[in-house]
Amino acid sequence: MREVYVAGIGITSFSRLEYPLAEIAAYPAMGALRDAGLKKIDQVYVANMGSARINNQTALASAVVDTLGLTPAGAERIENGPASGASAVKQGFLGVASGMYETVLVTGCERMREVNNLEATDFVATMTHPLAEYIYGVTLPAHAAMFTRLYMQKYGVTARHLGMVAVKNHANAMKNPFAHLHQPITLEGILDSPEAFTNNPYVAEPLRFFDCCPVSDGGAAVILASKEKMAELGKPLVRLAGIGQATDTLAVFERPDPTDLLAVRGSAAAAFAMAGLTPADVQVAELHDAFTILEIAESEEAGFFPKGQGHLALERGETALGGALPINPSGGLKGKGHPVGATGVGQVHEIVTQLRGDAGERQVAGARVGFTCNFGGFGNNVISMVFVREE
Amino acid sequence: MGVDLEKILRPIDSPLAPYPPKFMTVASGETLVIRQVDRDEIPTLLLAVEPLLHVERDFYDVVAARVYAELLGYYRHRMQDEYVLVGQIDGHLAAIVNGRTVNPKLGMSLHTLALRRGLRIGAHCFAAKMEYHIDILGQDEVLIVAESPIGFRRWMIEYQLEKRFEVAHELGGVPSYALTKALFDRARSSLVVGRRPVPPDLLAQAQAAILPPTDPPRPPADLLAATRAMYDSTGTALLLQRGRQELEGGHA
Amino acid sequence: MERQIYAYACRRCGALHYPFRMVCRECGENGPHEFDPVPLPKEGTLLTFTFVHNLPAEYEVARLGLGVVEFANGLRMLGQLDIADPKLGMKVVGEVKVVRQEAYARRYGMVFRAA
Repeated sequence: MREVYVAGIGITSFSRLEYPLAEIAAYPAMGALRDAGLKKIDQVYVANMGSARINNQTALASAVVDTLGLTPAGAERIENGPASGASAVKQGFLGVASGMYETVLVTGCERMREVNNLEATDFVATMTHPLAEYIYGVTLPAHAAMFTRLYMQKYGVTARHLGMVAVKNHANAMKNPFAHLHQPITLEGILDSPEAFTNNPYVAEPLRFFDCCPVSDGGAAVILASKEKMAELGKPLVRLAGIGQATDTLAVFERPDPTDLLAVRGSAAAAFAMAGLTPADVQVAELHDAFTILEIAESEEAGFFPKGQGHLALERGETALGGALPINPSGGLKGKGHPVGATGVGQVHEIVTQLRGDAGERQVAGARVGFTCNFGGFGNNVISMVFVREE
Repeated sequence: MGVDLEKILRPIDSPLAPYPPKFMTVASGETLVIRQVDRDEIPTLLLAVEPLLHVERDFYDVVAARVYAELLGYYRHRMQDEYVLVGQIDGHLAAIVNGRTVNPKLGMSLHTLALRRGLRIGAHCFAAKMEYHIDILGQDEVLIVAESPIGFRRWMIEYQLEKRFEVAHELGGVPSYALTKALFDRARSSLVVGRRPVPPDLLAQAQAAILPPTDPPRPPADLLAATRAMYDSTGTALLLQRGRQELEGGHA
Repeated sequence: MERQIYAYACRRCGALHYPFRMVCRECGENGPHEFDPVPLPKEGTLLTFTFVHNLPAEYEVARLGLGVVEFANGLRMLGQLDIADPKLGMKVVGEVKVVRQEAYARRYGMVFRAA
């Protein structure tokens, strides 16, 4: 297998975008091509979850490659729920690593807000088990809520810890021009003041409004290339050094320990093994905080903190921008937004930006190794990646 | 002669108890003041509402058009027993809510227009409106309709409003729902939030001026992209609505 | 008519599965659909729960109780809860009722109440 590098990156604002879906995919792709200095590409992967159901468009990759003027390059849409982005990056990696392509464009996109919130909630719920979960009216917040209740009981995580994740990620997002939310929040406003529980109502008890990421439109793109190609292009050498993926039972209740996220654990271990590195080598991480509890749980399962102690590291400020291991400097899904198909690619965009030293106000000083975790379903299909800055 | 005609055309307002202003902390840690405004402050509000006539998403255009008419009707004495409440943060306009009384015991909620999003300010101001009808004015019930699906979910379903489908709400004849005193009392702990009295300097700041909204909804940056996103390949929908044809000849 | 929710016993090794899967997780030896249906028990223990406020449009209630229940035979299931004040570890008993109305189709599932 050849070594694979990131040659270019591009992103849109994650917010409410009044552009057709194919344009939301194309815009960051054009940015990535410009960044890399490329006019042509060997292969295109489009990461997206909802085009067929929300946007009434199938065969999305064909539309994207056409609107970009990249025909006759090959193109496919990759769908893996919220892990579509990382899955598409993985396909791109395999294409270059195998020697089949010199350059691959991966663009993730989602236009959630073509439908209203009720339909968006139901669309996301279709990821659940059709007979054992979906028919009961379960939603992803419901799964996260049931998980949170047990985490609180077993490890002593409190609503305050969840609030701290939200406050931190909103603060980070203020420094990210592409973030969905540019709105600082305070613990007083969401938990302490007499009006806090009207500001921050229950979504699925015990999770509240500010524990859940927003519904966003957006796109992000990366270009993967071989080492030889990188030498031609002269871009900073950021290598995709490790990829790991693991799956778990579709029905969340079937997992032996309901407070474990074994797919995170397994995928992270595999990614580190492939990269020849350990969690201690990582300086910056983008974790999938669709719900604030997930940032805490994933930080443990990925190996950064002992199981059940992630909230203590949060308390100590270790995961804040100035801390020992900044998590979600971009604002995470909570602050930056969650256009489902774009999220995994967006995480890569942030880590590459950090490892190139281009993150401006939210730069993690001296970052050489970065980690991403893209969490599909409710933890039943997870892809972790390790990036390394060379030279 | 003119004075006599005006006497016929102008409704006589019933004496309505004024809304006592209140304040609360929103999620950002900032302070929201909710107070009633009188006719002399309406022109300032009209300036803030008018740009929303051109924002087609989330039914802002429909709501803005109707709110504009209601505010103007109030200002020009052509609407009976209407009241207007505003929410302000640091003096900046964050929301406008309005309604009127049909009779001493029945209220008619008109609109809730949030000009600052993401902090549930619309929800706070809607609840203040309900407090005004039930607690302050002592009414038995308030008729409500929703123009947008989010409003429907939040108010009709969350508060389990009673159906009053036999009553056509004046906003387009859509079937009404009602918030009764009984329902209001049941939801009181989550509906009646905020603190009184408002600290004097905070109230003085709010009363001194209604400053423009800090981050109001705006029309799309790229008009033709928005028409493509609405599956309108002619591009004329939004352009015509604005009363302007910006492009002569062909367009993409 | 009392309705059942079925678990599936592998015909080769007897391992119970809920929900259905094509290949036995224990032995992996069975052919497709080589399972025997076994009704799920009705009594169990509440493992975790939530009240969902943000629901899809067809649920016209303010909030919906959902919970994971564990049965004596080790199987678990997700069900709706008709329990005002659930507690972790409480004993519950289930009944199969309509749990969702999708357009013209009625979906049946287990609804648990306090035992």
